[in-house]
Amino acid sequence: MINHKEDIYYKIMINLFRIFKFAVQGFFRNFWLSVVTITMMLMAVLSVTLLVSMDYIKETTIKSVENQIDILIEIKPDVSREDVENLVLEIDGLDDVEEINIISPEQNKVLFLQNNPDEKVREVLDVYGDEENPFSYSLAVKAYKLSQYSNIIDFVNQEKYSNLVKTSDVDTHEEIIGKINSIANFLNKYSWYITGIFLLISVIVIFNTIRISIYTRRDEIMIMKLVGAGNAFVRLPFILESVFYALIAVLIVIAFAYPLVNFIQPSLNSYFQGDQVIDLVGYFRNNFVEIFVYQFIVLAILNIISTSIAVRRYLRV
Amino acid sequence: MIKLIDLSKIYNKEVQALKDISLHIKPGEFVSVVGQSGSGKSTLVKLIIAEERPDAGKIIIGGWDIIGIKDRELPTLRRQLGVIFQDFKLLPKKTVFENVAFAMETCGFKSSEIQKTVSQIISLVGLKGKEDRYPDQLSGGEQQRVAIARSLVHKPKLLIADEPTGNLDSINTREIVDLLKKINSMGTTIVLVTHNKDVVNGLHSRVITLDNGQVISDQSQGRYLL
Repeated sequence: MINHKEDIYYKIMINLFRIFKFAVQGFFRNFWLSVVTITMMLMAVLSVTLLVSMDYIKETTIKSVENQIDILIEIKPDVSREDVENLVLEIDGLDDVEEINIISPEQNKVLFLQNNPDEKVREVLDVYGDEENPFSYSLAVKAYKLSQYSNIIDFVNQEKYSNLVKTSDVDTHEEIIGKINSIANFLNKYSWYITGIFLLISVIVIFNTIRISIYTRRDEIMIMKLVGAGNAFVRLPFILESVFYALIAVLIVIAFAYPLVNFIQPSLNSYFQGDQVIDLVGYFRNNFVEIFVYQFIVLAILNIISTSIAVRRYLRV
Repeated sequence: MIKLIDLSKIYNKEVQALKDISLHIKPGEFVSVVGQSGSGKSTLVKLIIAEERPDAGKIIIGGWDIIGIKDRELPTLRRQLGVIFQDFKLLPKKTVFENVAFAMETCGFKSSEIQKTVSQIISLVGLKGKEDRYPDQLSGGEQQRVAIARSLVHKPKLLIADEPTGNLDSINTREIVDLLKKINSMGTTIVLVTHNKDVVNGLHSRVITLDNGQVISDQSQGRYLL
């Protein structure tokens, strides 16, 4: 009984070892076929990695734009500080408001001077003299999401606030934010379509590459069957070989991806004026598993399925 | 060893490859199956190795009726038969040793046993010293010897040779036939499918002649009739 069990254990181990050996032999002895197959997979992995990077850049850019947006509600002249503070309390009560700041007439004057270094423009203020300030209060309101600005704008546009708020300025904000919002929605929506199309193309390319690779070795499969090899013994080395293809394709992309993002990062930094809003290096470092390990798993599963289907056809001997 | 009872194979309405063939091949016999192209010789081989299924009749090999053989039983059947083909059917990316050893490796034999048996058989077929060569580094005759060696590793009781000399010159043909005779003298039943008149006439053994899918002659000390 013990001997019988040991025999079975030995047979399983020796078969696994031989399947692995045949897979390694098949991989290296059909070297150029392996190179071509890996190249095709490399293209697919590269496309997906590029898509992931583009998606990160898009998401970060949209978020960055959204973070930089706020609306400036201009208060009519001669409105008292107390009325302004009451209005702030009411606006702050909205769920859409993340932050609201009062900008005093004095701060507005300083901002105007900072933003207009041109002497001719500054001279406009001279007619008022040093004591008089033509600027009124304004409110800088920030929402959680772009789409929430319309609620805030509708709120301040109410008739009861018409004696406090300069309505025409608020309407201009609404138009600009609406445009930014629709661009963001457009990018989000179509990037999914593009990602889907790229993924579909990658799947088709991989499936057909495997099929062609197996087709070129169909005689080998039939000969193995004719000399008495079982289906599993024929199929498994091919399946294992296809997993090697996936592993090598992903390893090559990893080897190139990290130096490449390190090379690109300074250009991104200078484009975003040193704010380092888009940290591609950090993104790749922190999402290694999501980007590469998952890609390898999906690619390996795809290869296993494709190989099983392709080999099955020639096992019917 | 082999019993064929009323065996028929129809590819389509116009082509009936075999018509009601009945044969009995005894253990240890050397039988030549001859016939012109399209006579049904290759179909007969395909049915015996279960590469194709007959439309009617029975095939009994060593007491095993293989008509209803299941796909998972095919390896067991093929490990009991030795088969050699006209086009050798060697694995092109494996060496001589690996080609011969493969048939044993699929059965889970121990490596030491494989090493011993394969070396002996390679010596038997006269390829000692060429174990590490690939098929494309060998002549046609040598490739056929590898195929014979591979078919023998399981120590089969029955060896089926389908036109084994079809791609060989006369010298290599004679050497391969001599090798088959040697294997037969060791007790292995041999079914040689050929249309080589000189080979058949030189054997002085049983000759079954097929024509148009039927047995037209079965002589115990036969000659090539067609």
